[in-house]
Amino acid sequence: MNFSFLSKYWSYYLIGAKNTVLLALMAVVIGVMIGMVLAVARVGKNKFLSFLATAYVEFIRGTPLLVQLFIIYYGLQAIGIRFPDVPFMTGLLGINFADFMAGVITMGINSGAYVCEIFRSGVQSIDKGQSEAARSLGLSYPKTLMYIVIPQAIRNVLPTLGNEFVVVIKESSIVSIIGIADLMYKANTVRGNTFQPFEPLLVAAVVYFVLTFPLSKLLARIERRMRNHE
Amino acid sequence: MSEPLIRVSGLKKNFGKLEVLKGIDESIFGGEVVVIIGPSGSGKSTFLRCLNLLEVPTAGQIWFDGVEITDRSEWKNGGLDAHRREMGMVFQHFNLFPHMDVLENIILSPVKVKGLPRAEAEDVARDLLEQVGLTDKIHAHPAQLSGGQKQRIAIVRALAMKPKVMLFDEPTSALDPEMVGEVLGVMKNLAGQGMTMAVVTHEMRFAREVGSRVLFMDDGIILEQGKPEELFNAPRNERTKEFLAKVM
Repeated sequence: MNFSFLSKYWSYYLIGAKNTVLLALMAVVIGVMIGMVLAVARVGKNKFLSFLATAYVEFIRGTPLLVQLFIIYYGLQAIGIRFPDVPFMTGLLGINFADFMAGVITMGINSGAYVCEIFRSGVQSIDKGQSEAARSLGLSYPKTLMYIVIPQAIRNVLPTLGNEFVVVIKESSIVSIIGIADLMYKANTVRGNTFQPFEPLLVAAVVYFVLTFPLSKLLARIERRMRNHE
Repeated sequence: MSEPLIRVSGLKKNFGKLEVLKGIDESIFGGEVVVIIGPSGSGKSTFLRCLNLLEVPTAGQIWFDGVEITDRSEWKNGGLDAHRREMGMVFQHFNLFPHMDVLENIILSPVKVKGLPRAEAEDVARDLLEQVGLTDKIHAHPAQLSGGQKQRIAIVRALAMKPKVMLFDEPTSALDPEMVGEVLGVMKNLAGQGMTMAVVTHEMRFAREVGSRVLFMDDGIILEQGKPEELFNAPRNERTKEFLAKVM
């Protein structure tokens, strides 16, 4: 095996890793916002909203991420929606910002479904006595959610939510297919330039692992500490 | 006699096919301490939980302070919450909010529901904490408290809303025996101050000493009731006799 290409191409991996992390961060932020709204709708009393949220979750979880990516990437163009180009971001990423956003949005929409389920199980893990106590004190249903249920649910799901970030980092490698210069895309570029099909992939795998492993370890530690505080 | 604080008429509650309450007519007057006893599964807790509509009755009406709270048109625009804030409730498992310290537990509802200024709510909280002897726990978290302390805080939390009636749902059943006394002591003081109380309990001594009236419930109805000395010394109903023989 020959890894001498690294001396020339190491910066490719650095740029790719930066773009992957950036994409995952933005996607998770979008995912958490979508997931929170969906979770409130899903556990709420309004049957119609609950149905819509459930349908969203089931559809996203029941279709391949690749298909979703293509639908967003080509579909948005087809119906004439184009993200404005932000020169600053394009400069930072080294690729077209509008293309990048197609990846971010797909990953965000996808992650939202999973985050919804994380929040929902978090809300349902809160003892019924908590909301009964709150209601008996005269708190309305929304206030009970806001002050009693959601703060406790968020604390419970924080480790799982962090894990979702790890998942998004890994799954996001798929956006390389639409030409977003993430870690995977950069690795492919190196493969093409060096005519070495194998070794650059190994390096990419190592970089992905270096990104996710410390994060998983950190989350496990946070989880342990939280459990000790109970 | 004056108007009752709570009046219940034809109260029924089903859980699916199971009839838990089979028709209850009862009044609770201001200043009374009504103790509800009976075997488990007799519907005592369900009856109590219907009073502040934590359980929605299947049939029947409840008036609180002259207003029919089972009237669903009352529930819109926070009518139900407005009634609930005047009825304090204490639960078997305390149900303190574990993510808040003691002070925050107590002032949450006065501040967020009543709109009391924070400083004023804190004064009320300090006052009440002193009365139950837990001033030093003001910044403790629930997880750091014993069961008896938790329940005393739960009582204070309910009292901070200045309710017109206090509902106690087996307040000492989840406590270690040595902690039962401190909670009953607080409840006794409260009764001494003239608070209207409805108490579901297995503490017969408390019923006898503090209760102004004892209701014996069995199989979803109030089978017998009377002053504690009457009911405990000379029960008329066979089922009551049987139950008392077992628990006394």
